[in-house]
Amino acid sequence: MRIAVLLSAGRHAVSGRPAPVPVELQAVGLAADFVERHGADLTGLHAGPDVGPLRDALGHGLPNLVHLVTGADDDPLPSLAAALREGAFDLILAGRVAQGGEDSGLLPYALARALGLPIVSDAAALAPGETPGTLNVEQALPRGARRRLLVRLPVLVTVHPAAPAARPFAFAGARRGILETRPGLAAPRASTGLEERPYRPRPKLIAKAAAGASAAERLKAATEAASGGGRLLVDPPPEEAAREILAYLAGIGVVAKR
Amino acid sequence: MSRPRKDPRAERAAQRVAGATRPRFDLARTPETATSGRPRRDPRAEERLALVPGTLRRRLDRTRRAGEAAIPAPQPLATPAPDAPALRRIPEPAFLVALVPDAPGGRLTPHDRQLFGAARLLADAGGGAVVALVDPAADDLAAAGADRVLTLPVSGYDPEGKALALDAALAALGLRHLLFPESAEGGDLARRVAALSGEALFAGAESLTAKAVTRAAHGRRTEQRGAPPTLISLAPDAVAPHAGTLHEALPVAFAFPATTGGAILAAEFVAADPARVSLAEADFVTSAGNGVSDFETFRALIAALGATPGASRMVCDAGLMPRAAQVGASGTVLDARCYFALGIAGAPQHLQGVAKCEHVVAVNTDLHAAMIERAGLAIVADAQEVMPALLRLIAEEASA
Ligand SMILES: Cc1cc2nc3c(=O)[nH]c(=O)nc-3n(C[C@H](O)[C@H](O)[C@H](O)COP(=O)(O)OP(=O)(O)OC[C@H]3O[C@@H](n4cnc5c(N)ncnc54)[C@H](O)[C@@H]3O)c2cc1C
Repeated sequence: MRIAVLLSAGRHAVSGRPAPVPVELQAVGLAADFVERHGADLTGLHAGPDVGPLRDALGHGLPNLVHLVTGADDDPLPSLAAALREGAFDLILAGRVAQGGEDSGLLPYALARALGLPIVSDAAALAPGETPGTLNVEQALPRGARRRLLVRLPVLVTVHPAAPAARPFAFAGARRGILETRPGLAAPRASTGLEERPYRPRPKLIAKAAAGASAAERLKAATEAASGGGRLLVDPPPEEAAREILAYLAGIGVVAKR
Repeated sequence: MSRPRKDPRAERAAQRVAGATRPRFDLARTPETATSGRPRRDPRAEERLALVPGTLRRRLDRTRRAGEAAIPAPQPLATPAPDAPALRRIPEPAFLVALVPDAPGGRLTPHDRQLFGAARLLADAGGGAVVALVDPAADDLAAAGADRVLTLPVSGYDPEGKALALDAALAALGLRHLLFPESAEGGDLARRVAALSGEALFAGAESLTAKAVTRAAHGRRTEQRGAPPTLISLAPDAVAPHAGTLHEALPVAFAFPATTGGAILAAEFVAADPARVSLAEADFVTSAGNGVSDFETFRALIAALGATPGASRMVCDAGLMPRAAQVGASGTVLDARCYFALGIAGAPQHLQGVAKCEHVVAVNTDLHAAMIERAGLAIVADAQEVMPALLRLIAEEASA
């Protein structure tokens, strides 16, 4: 089995300096664990003008990294698609969204479309399926729920931040790892036609009432959460208190109704 | 509680003897009506009523939530009944704005409702109609703001099939905009449709008007802005939900192309294990504060309720619960639907962590605790007695 991990040139969330994207290092960790348990070939792939801090991925468990050199304004999609097609990978891992580029999270989907592969999002754990040529993917859902999927290989999988933490950096691993440089394909990126300006945080919507509601309703919605003003029972017998609490919890659906 | 207020000037005027050159007063005469009409407050009677019975220390409950029944409340002014929202029909829309709500289990999430608000904003700017693309039909789409409803032919977890159906609808119905929530499922679907149709996706729109949408890019360092494109995914809490008018939610028929099975061979939903899920992600949190001394029962209660354990800082400092369980400003800020606080006073630092919880239940011996004030259901009782009673009741219901 051959596994590829896609690495993007990220920027640190606070300092804005070039850095690997954390979830992609988690993907490297997932792949490295898979290789140790079940045996496979593992390669990292990056398309861009410069590897920079992505070399650190070698210290986080990646045995080798292929750098496809493209221009600064080139679209990485054709280079990656060509390299992946040539490598005949069974499993391709990617992060959810990049951090520092367009940040739309579209690349894995466009890549899957270009390669004709199925895509599965938000993996938190990977294991080989019972029949050969299949893969068990544990998909992370909101609120800590999971979905177990059985998919046919080859497949492209994006990794969720709920996956196990990235392996710690090991200097020896970084020395041992092999960085290979190959020329990529020139593919000037089409202009998005969007105006760009410095980012300004927008106020989040606080009031739960809708815009069409009256002023009184909006005021009520904005102040309601803080004041509670619910039911109050003073010194009830414990049995009655328990019954009230359980009925309330069942009413909002957090415990099962019986 | 109040008696008529004395008006000394009016009393004096009533005692004046008429007809004399100099002002003369007949003090023996008692005036018949000499009150100002304003009732006089009786602070002692008020205090007697506000007194909380059964406490060692003298305590006054000035909000009078406990003794409400004893005091006749002033008659509220008759408020006119709010009229039902008007039904708005759009028989011949100029264009269509479609949206794909997540609607887990057929219930619209707040994010879905905001999506409807955004779709109405785009549609109402030019006489368009809103089409909701749902699988299985969700409830109250008419109130949420859908003019038309199209049911997608999908069963089980099949994002590939759903994306293919959406792509077909996008091309055939000539939709001007197709909106998705930027949630785990909606975001995935939006990108699948973008890859299938070749349209550019405006991912994670943070503000939206009929003229312009904006989003963050380059690690939240630049803002991209442009006219609303065809495919938009909307960030949470960016647009207010729709309200005010009711819409038709007419079912529409559309012949979807038949889809073949995708690469997903099996899908099985695994519910979250409340004991292991992190506090920030938990749906239902039960917390212990300094008022809980019986931690054996507390742990049994958590297991019986299926809640994620939490604690106040006092408990974590004492080493009775792990630090990871601390709720509040210096612990975890919850995103839970329900918070059940046992013996927690509700310090501001703690309440900050509970600010986003929709429902709060509190058990505390102190009627004046801030947690009691914040709670939707507040019980003034000893937690050490309520916890075993709850356990008994749960066991009783399980056996019944
Ligand atoms: C910088 C800073 C940061 C902080 N951050 C946090 C934070 O993140 N999270 C946090 O929780 N705190 C935080 N605190 C501490 C916070 O101010 C309070 O001290 C703490 O929350 C109080 O915890 P408590 O309500 O459990 O205890 P107490 O204040 O001791 O309250 C105990 C409550 O239990 C009730 N009680 C007593 N006996 C019983 C009984 N038998 N049955 C029922 N009820 C009973 C009492 O009436 C009382 O209301 C912070 C403080 C500072 C200064």
